[in-house]
Amino acid sequence: MPNYAMVIDLQLCTGCGGCIIGCKNENNLPEGVRWSNKITETLGRFPHVRYHYRPTLCNHCENAPCVRGCPTRALYKTKDGITAHDPDKCIGCRYCMVNCPYGAVNYTWNKPHQEWEDNTEIIPGCTYSPRGLVNAVDAKGWPIFNPDPDVNYKAIRPTGVIEKCHFCLHRVEAGDLPYCVEVCPSNARVFGDLDDPNSKVNELLGMFRAEQLRPELGTRPKVFYIREFCPCAYEPGKGMI
Amino acid sequence: MKKLQIEKGEGISKTKLTRRTFVKGTAVACAGMAMGGPVLRALSTKGTAQAGNLSQGEWVSSFCTGCTAWCTKQIYVVNGRAVKIRGNPNSKSNGINSCPRAHLALQQCYDPDRLKTPMKRTNPRKGRNEDPGFVPISWDEAVGMLADRIIELRRDNEVHKFMVMRGRYTALNALLYDRVPKIIGSPNNISHSSICAEAEKMRYFQEGQWAYMQYDIPKTRYVLLWGADPLVANRGASSYLNSWGHALDNARIASVEPRLSGTGSKCDEWLPVKPGYDGALATAMAHTILTEGMWYKPFVGDFIDEVNRFEPGKTVNEHMFLERHTHGLVKWWNIVLKDATPEWAETICGVPAQQIRRVALGFAAAAPNCISWVGGGPAMQPRGSYGCLAANALSGLVGGCDNEGGVLTYNSRSYKGYPSPGDFQDDIAKQGLKYEKIDQRGRLEWPNLARGGSGAGVNTNNVADAINSEDPYHIKVAVGFFNNFNFSCPGTKRWDQAMSKVDFFAHLTTHASEMSFYADVVLPVKNCMFEQWASLDHCSNGHRSVSLSQPAIKSVWDAKAMETEFSWILAEKLAERGFDNLHRYLKTIVDPETGRTPTTAEEFDLYACKHLMQHFWDPAATKGGDKFSGWEEFKKIGVWNSDPYNYRARWSNMGTATGKFEFYSQTLKDSLENHAQKHGVSVDRVMEACNYEARGELAFVPHHEEPYEWGSTQEYPFKFVDYKARLNREGRSANCPWYMELKDLDPGDLAYDDVAKLNPVDGERLGIKTGDKVRLTSPIGSITCTAALWEGTQPGTVAKAFGQGHWAYGRWAAKVFGKEPRGANNNDIIPTDNDRLSGSTAFYGHIRIKVEKV
Repeated sequence: MPNYAMVIDLQLCTGCGGCIIGCKNENNLPEGVRWSNKITETLGRFPHVRYHYRPTLCNHCENAPCVRGCPTRALYKTKDGITAHDPDKCIGCRYCMVNCPYGAVNYTWNKPHQEWEDNTEIIPGCTYSPRGLVNAVDAKGWPIFNPDPDVNYKAIRPTGVIEKCHFCLHRVEAGDLPYCVEVCPSNARVFGDLDDPNSKVNELLGMFRAEQLRPELGTRPKVFYIREFCPCAYEPGKGMI
Repeated sequence: MKKLQIEKGEGISKTKLTRRTFVKGTAVACAGMAMGGPVLRALSTKGTAQAGNLSQGEWVSSFCTGCTAWCTKQIYVVNGRAVKIRGNPNSKSNGINSCPRAHLALQQCYDPDRLKTPMKRTNPRKGRNEDPGFVPISWDEAVGMLADRIIELRRDNEVHKFMVMRGRYTALNALLYDRVPKIIGSPNNISHSSICAEAEKMRYFQEGQWAYMQYDIPKTRYVLLWGADPLVANRGASSYLNSWGHALDNARIASVEPRLSGTGSKCDEWLPVKPGYDGALATAMAHTILTEGMWYKPFVGDFIDEVNRFEPGKTVNEHMFLERHTHGLVKWWNIVLKDATPEWAETICGVPAQQIRRVALGFAAAAPNCISWVGGGPAMQPRGSYGCLAANALSGLVGGCDNEGGVLTYNSRSYKGYPSPGDFQDDIAKQGLKYEKIDQRGRLEWPNLARGGSGAGVNTNNVADAINSEDPYHIKVAVGFFNNFNFSCPGTKRWDQAMSKVDFFAHLTTHASEMSFYADVVLPVKNCMFEQWASLDHCSNGHRSVSLSQPAIKSVWDAKAMETEFSWILAEKLAERGFDNLHRYLKTIVDPETGRTPTTAEEFDLYACKHLMQHFWDPAATKGGDKFSGWEEFKKIGVWNSDPYNYRARWSNMGTATGKFEFYSQTLKDSLENHAQKHGVSVDRVMEACNYEARGELAFVPHHEEPYEWGSTQEYPFKFVDYKARLNREGRSANCPWYMELKDLDPGDLAYDDVAKLNPVDGERLGIKTGDKVRLTSPIGSITCTAALWEGTQPGTVAKAFGQGHWAYGRWAAKVFGKEPRGANNNDIIPTDNDRLSGSTAFYGHIRIKVEKV
C-alpha cells in the first residue's frame, strides 16, 4: 500500500492562494473554512523587508494526535496513510481540534452554505434569490456544488461535525492528484508514495533538507517543505560591519 | 544562483520539468512497482471523463475575462452546470495553468444577483440617491424603447448624439462597438482603453509597438520590474506563476515599486522608489550602464575605436559612435544621461546610489537575456509617458528587446475581419460621422498619440466632463456594454453627474452595477466565458493562443450575447421602424461552412464567431500555426496555437520612423510636430498645454519629469499608492464570496476587510493601530476604511488596493445594495488627471492625501 505524502517547494510557490481556492471549490467548503491555508510573515524593517508565505494543510501525520484522541474513531488512518474523517461517526466533540497542533481541523457553528438559503432578491423580479439560483441550476447547497467527495466522504459535511483535508481521497482513489496539487499553477506541490524509494517525493527528500512543521511533537508530519519562498542573493563580505 | 543548465553564447535553455512529464514519470514508476495499490494516473488532458465513481463531466473550451491576459481555459461541466475551471491543456501558452482569480469566474457566473431579465426604471429622476425603481420588462419592449430613441435621432439629424461605450469585450466586439454606431451614424464609440494601460504602450515611440508585450521568463537572466506585479495582477499571471520559481534559479529579479508587492516578495531585491520618480531611477541606471561600458554592443553598436567616451557630465561627439539596431544613443546621452548620475537620482527617488549602480550593472551583465518590464506604475501618471520610455529604454540598452529571455511582442494571429459597413451608411450616417468625437481627442491639450496619430487614442475618462459641459455637444442616447465607468474611473462623482444628464441610457451588463443605476433600461447579457460563442486570445511562452468559448452550460437567465445577439435584436427593431440598414449589414455575415444567412440572434452569434475564426479552423483558409480538419475538431480542442516566436526578427525592422530602436525618438518628434502643426503652434506649446516640463529636444528622449501632484505637502502629507488586488477580476469580482473571504491573499491585507496600509513608523506617529478606522482625504474627496500597519509600505505613503467600495453590484459587494458601499473605492479620492501624450487616465504618482483616525 502506498504511504501518501506531499512535498511543497516553497521556491516554486508564488503565494497565489490557488490551492486554497481550488480546495474550497473541490470540497464544497463552507464560507470561512479553509482546509488548505497559509502562514505568512513579514520580516525586517523598511526598506529591508520581505514577505514570506507557507501553504499549509493537514499534515496527515503518521502518528496523528487527532486520530489517537478521537473517542468515536471518526478520525482514522486509511490504508494509504491518509488521515480521513467519517462524519457518520463524528459527534462533534472537537477533541481533535484541541489535539491537532496545526489547527488543521475545522468546525463551523453555522449550517454550511446557509447564505445560499436566503430567499431575498436584491431587485425583486429581476434577480434570483440565492436559494432560487441554487434550485434553478439544480445544485445542492451552493451553485457550484461538486458531487465528487460524496464517493468516500460527504460532499457537504452536516452541521455539528468537524471537517478536514483528506488529501482528496475521492480523487486519489480514482487515480487523480489531490485538487490542490492539480490547480497549483506553479507546480509547487509534489504528491506521492513515501514508501516508494523511487517516488518524486523521495527524490526531493533526498535532495533537500526538508522541513516539517513542529516535528519535535513526534507527530511525524507527512507534509514536507523544501527550499525558500524568497531565495534572495546578497553580496558576501568579511564580517560586513 | 543555481542553474539547472547553463549554455554558452546567447540565450539559455533548460530542462523544464512540467507537471505532465512529472506525473507521467510517477505513473510509470508506480506501474513498475505497484502491486494492486492505486496508481496516480496522468492528469487528464482528454476532453472528458474522470475515473472511478467521480462525476462524468466534460471539459469545454473557453477563455478568461478576469484581466486582459485572456488566458486559455476549459470549464468542467457536469449536467449542464459549470463546476471547475482550468487552463486549456491544448494551449502552448498558459497550458493547464490558471491564476487564482480564474476560479472566481464560477462565482461570477452563478451569482444570485445577476440580472435574469431586462428591466426599466420607473423613477425618472436620476442621481446617486435616487432609487431607479427597476421593474422587469421583455426584451421586445426594452430594445424597442432604445430603437425608438435612435429613430428619433435619425429623424432629427442628430445621430452624432448617440454613443456606444465599451468596457471589457470579446474579439467579436466590432459588431456592436464599431458597426452599430457607424451604420447609425455616430462617431462616438468610446472604449475603456485609456483607463486600462495606454501609457505602457508609449514604447511605440521606441520600438513601434502600440501593444502589450510578452516576457520571456523561461529564458531570462535578469528581470527588472517597473510598477509591474505579474504574479498578482495584469497580465499573464497564469504563465508567470508557472515559470517564476524556475526563473529564481536562473535569473536575478528586482522590483521597482513604492510598496512591497506580491511579486516583490518573490524577488532578489526591492527598490522602493518614491511614487513618480521611476524616470529618475531609470535614467540613472542607463547612465551607469553607459559609463561602465556595459551596453550590449551587438544590438546598440560601439564607438568606432571601441574606446568608451561616456564620462559623467561630458558631451560626446555623435559621429564617434556607430549604432547598429538603435538610433540616437549619443543624442540621449548628451541631452539627459550625462548628468543623470545615481547620486543625483538618489536625492530625489529615494533609492540609494549604491543600489542603483548594483542593479544597473547586474542587469547589464546578464545582457542580452534581460527584461525591463514596464507596468502601469511608472506610466499611468501625469507626465508618465517619459517614465515609461525611460524604463523601456533599458531593454534596448542591453539588447533584451525582441531577444531570448527578453521583451517580446505578441506572436501574430489573424482573425478574419467583418465586412466594411460602407455600403450600409446612408447620408444621415455619413453626415453624423463628420462630427467631432465626444471625448475631445485630438484637441491641442489631448494629443492621444495612439500609434503616433494625433487624436488617435481614446479619452475615456474625459467623456464625463464632455457630457457635463456639453462640449462638443449633448449626448441624448447612450449604450454601454460590460463597463462600469461610474466605479472604475477616477473622479466618480463626475460620472454620476454625467450619466444623470444623458437622456436615455441602455446598459448591457451581467450585474446591476453603479452605472446601471443611471440607466433607463438594463439589459442582461450572457457571461461570455460560459454561455455563448466568442473568442479571445492570449500570448505567453512564445506562443499566441486563440481560444473559443461555447454555450457550455444550461442558462437560467433571459440573457443575450452582448455583441452579437443584442446587435441583431436592435437591428430587427430598427428595421421594424423603417431603418433596415443595420439588419441588412448583419445578414451579410453568413455561416462560412454552409453559406447560410442567419435568421435568428442565436444563429448570428454562431456564424459571426465562425466567420471571425475561419483562419484558425478552416484548413483551406489557414495562415500558419495549428491546423484542424474543420469546425467540429476545432470545437473539441478549443484553441489555436501560433508558430513559435521568431526572435530578433524586429531588429532594424521596428516599425519606427528609422526602423531602429529609438533612444532619440524620431517617431515621437514626427508625431508631436504633426500635432503641433495641426493646431498651428510649436511643440513647446503642445508640451505646455499638456502639462509636461520638457521643452526643445528633451521632448523626444526619455527623461525624468517631476511628478505633478494634487495638493500641498503641508495639507496632504502622504502619497497614495493604488494597486490591484490579487482576486480582482478587474472591477467585477467583489460580489464573489471568495473575494472577501480571501482578501488576505494580498500581502499585508486582511480577510473580509478593505485596508489602507501604513508603515508602522507612520502609524506610531499618528497614533493609528491596525484595525482602526481611518479617513483618507485627497483634494477631491474622502473615503473611510480600516488601517493596517505593514512594514512593506514605504514611510510617507499609504497603499490601498482597488476593487472594493461598490455601492451596487450585489449583496456581498455592497454593504447596503444601491445605497452604502462595502469598503472604499480608491477612485473616489484619485483626482482626475492624465498622461496626455498617451491619453491615459492617471492612477499613480499624483495623489496626495491626509490620514485621520475616525
